[in-house]
Amino acid sequence: MSGPNIALPGQILGASSSNELGSGTHLHNDQLCASISGPILTSKPSNSSKTSKAPKLSISRTTGNLLPEVGTTILGKITRTNPRQANISILALGPTGEHVCRDPFPAIIRQQDIRATEIDKVKVAESFRVGDVVRAVVISLGDERSYYLSTAKNELGVVMAVSEWGNQMVPVSWREFMDESTGAREARKVAKPV
Amino acid sequence: MAPYTNIPLSPAELSYLHTSLAQDPPIRPDGRSPTQFRPLVAETDILPSANGSARICFADGTEAVVGVKAEVERTGRKGGLVRGKEDGEVEGEERGEDGWLDVSIEIPGTRDDDALPVFLAAMLTEALLADGELKGRLVIGRVWHWRLFVDILLLSQPLSYPLPLLSLTTHLALLSTRLPALISQKDEDPLFNDDWEASTHLFPRQPTTNEPETKPPITLLVMTVGTNILFDPSSDEIAVADAIVAISATEDSKDGGLKMVALRTVDPPSRLTSAGVPTQANTTAGGGLSAEETLKLREKDAGATVWRPPRGGVSRTVLGRMIKKVVEKGGVGEEVLEGLRGVKS
Amino acid sequence: MAMLADRRRMNAPPGGTSPPVFASLPEAKLTKPIRTRNPDEHRKIFLRTGVVPSASGSAYYEISPSNTPRQTLVPSSSSLKITCTVHGPRPLPRNAAFSSNLLLTTHVKFAPFATRQRRGYVRDSSERDLGVHLETALRGVVIGDRWPKSGCEVVITVLEGEEDGWWADAEEGGKAGSWGMMNVLAGCITVASAAIADAGVDCVDLVSGGVAALTAERNGEGVLDPCPSEHDIKAACVVGYLQSRDEVTEMWMKGDAGSGSEALIDNAVKAAVLTRTVLAEAVKEATEMKIGKTSEAAVETTNTGKGKTKDIQMTG
Repeated sequence: MSGPNIALPGQILGASSSNELGSGTHLHNDQLCASISGPILTSKPSNSSKTSKAPKLSISRTTGNLLPEVGTTILGKITRTNPRQANISILALGPTGEHVCRDPFPAIIRQQDIRATEIDKVKVAESFRVGDVVRAVVISLGDERSYYLSTAKNELGVVMAVSEWGNQMVPVSWREFMDESTGAREARKVAKPV
Repeated sequence: MAPYTNIPLSPAELSYLHTSLAQDPPIRPDGRSPTQFRPLVAETDILPSANGSARICFADGTEAVVGVKAEVERTGRKGGLVRGKEDGEVEGEERGEDGWLDVSIEIPGTRDDDALPVFLAAMLTEALLADGELKGRLVIGRVWHWRLFVDILLLSQPLSYPLPLLSLTTHLALLSTRLPALISQKDEDPLFNDDWEASTHLFPRQPTTNEPETKPPITLLVMTVGTNILFDPSSDEIAVADAIVAISATEDSKDGGLKMVALRTVDPPSRLTSAGVPTQANTTAGGGLSAEETLKLREKDAGATVWRPPRGGVSRTVLGRMIKKVVEKGGVGEEVLEGLRGVKS
Repeated sequence: MAMLADRRRMNAPPGGTSPPVFASLPEAKLTKPIRTRNPDEHRKIFLRTGVVPSASGSAYYEISPSNTPRQTLVPSSSSLKITCTVHGPRPLPRNAAFSSNLLLTTHVKFAPFATRQRRGYVRDSSERDLGVHLETALRGVVIGDRWPKSGCEVVITVLEGEEDGWWADAEEGGKAGSWGMMNVLAGCITVASAAIADAGVDCVDLVSGGVAALTAERNGEGVLDPCPSEHDIKAACVVGYLQSRDEVTEMWMKGDAGSGSEALIDNAVKAAVLTRTVLAEAVKEATEMKIGKTSEAAVETTNTGKGKTKDIQMTG
């Protein structure tokens, strides 16, 4: 087994003054405590941060991230579009979908969050179609129903799309996909292939 | 309890309330002392068709009516093993059964299978049954017994946790409950005297002073904020409670003091309130921190500057202090019982 | 409280059946089972997490039945078998309001065959009551503000429930107090804590359940983990205890403890400390297993399933 140091919820990891708080931990009475079970990871303080000198203790989640947070890159599928926004189901978390969600999370991409430039000229219909697989980043937990996502970066946008004829398409420019068998081109907000 | 608390308070208000209640001595929003109860109006024997009844009205307008009805039921067999005689007769004293007491609670705005009425009914029932005396009094003979229905009606949607209101009303109703006198022999089909004067109290009274010899238990709601212990919390106070405990106490027949017969922790709604956002993490004020940094800020703040819902439970010493405050000589429990003694029908 | 009728099934007329009454043969000497453990000894517990692959977290809890040979049709004492599944954190239903915290809901159900008297399919009031108790115990443990806009459902099925007293006493009005419920609750708390840890939900601590009782025998001595058929219980107490914080998130005490209430609470906490050793061991082994699985999976790029843990048994 690789994990010699496994923490259990509630286990005291050290004084909060000498350790920096990482993920999977919480503070209780000046003590840093574990809040999930998993291996303890200690990371050295980065040189760039001048505020903290203490090593950061965190506990890696054996189940992977469970919920989208602000800043999480996700993969999802467009479920419907209208001129103001595109609805999307978050299916997996991580840039390449490392963690598959058990239940899809509802989210929307608003018209102004589709791309970074000329945001007033964006048309949702020329960016997304129902069924596209999209890479996006969470910008807000949103309202009671949907997370708010953004694709306003080069590497974000449609990663997989199907043409009107039902064929898989390939990206040919930053705003077009092409159906290889028919040669037809369709407009999309294309994610830069990584 | 409903998963969504309808607490109309902002994180700032919650934080203010919590801080003032955690002072020494605590400053309660309505200026009461920690052990002081809200004023109430009570009357008993108000329903002519019930064996016993009571009504209590709190100053905030919430009102409860309790009617106690007794009906005769044939004692059924419970299964098990028959030992000794062939005909199934069991030697020894008859003991009552828990199922003979039926407490049901009607709260407007909740379904009767919601968690809240079920929880309250179970709490009141177990307090009443704790010493086993009450159910023993329901035995008529080997074949027949009384079945006691305690029906509690809240007339308006409760503004605070309705437990003390229900408990005190039930206490008064049971004290005034009378059972008709039996004319027939013990195991015959029962026949009763219809003279109300001849009926006996469910909780027997002394013939000379007309004072009850034993009393039904009372259930008090106690909450903690920090190290302070507060009685009869209002809905605003409950919204910031660290822990809430319902303690049932009854008179100890041995030394005349009080003893605890049941205790339950109640899930404080404060756990579902939303936390405040520390100033540095406020995105509208130009913060723009990552999720991890925000989490770290919140964790470090730990409810010191902005509100954070309480975590964890209550320590054993605080629990012990709460119990003591209720049952000790000259404690809150005795004070409440003394106050209820003054209620006339 | 009358049992609610199940609207989805054809229901028999109420009160039509009653459990059988047995006559004891003179040669078969039936005696109430006697506690052979020490007063401060817990029964053996079996706990394993990750038993339901389709749930985010799950656990199975069992108090092993006594091994005494069975002379009668009805076993002389009961044991406890509980499964728990945790679903979530997952998005709230479409019509739900915004919540900045994790909404934890609990659902406790006895299987119809869990007790000697058959249970219906609709949850009755005692099951709902247990659910509320469990919710109180767990809400204090989960760090809810880390899981905005999500719900978490804890579903417990009691496969075999503790009885409220010795079955043969039922005729003498003995089934009083519903003491068995308290053992069931303590088991529910422990198993739910294991399942939540398995699901990876942030908690301030592991919460373990413990029961203690004051009995009428042996000068009202306090016992840990009372088996209701072995004792004549006067008062009992369940706690949901957080050992590393020395706090109690749930307490349920009833009965006439008199002045012994404080000792009763302390005993219940002692029982919870004993259960915690099993709980911690089970969670730890499950975590080790998962780490092993993920590192294997990284090499083979195969799908990781839930790790099977070894059996953990506790004595003492």
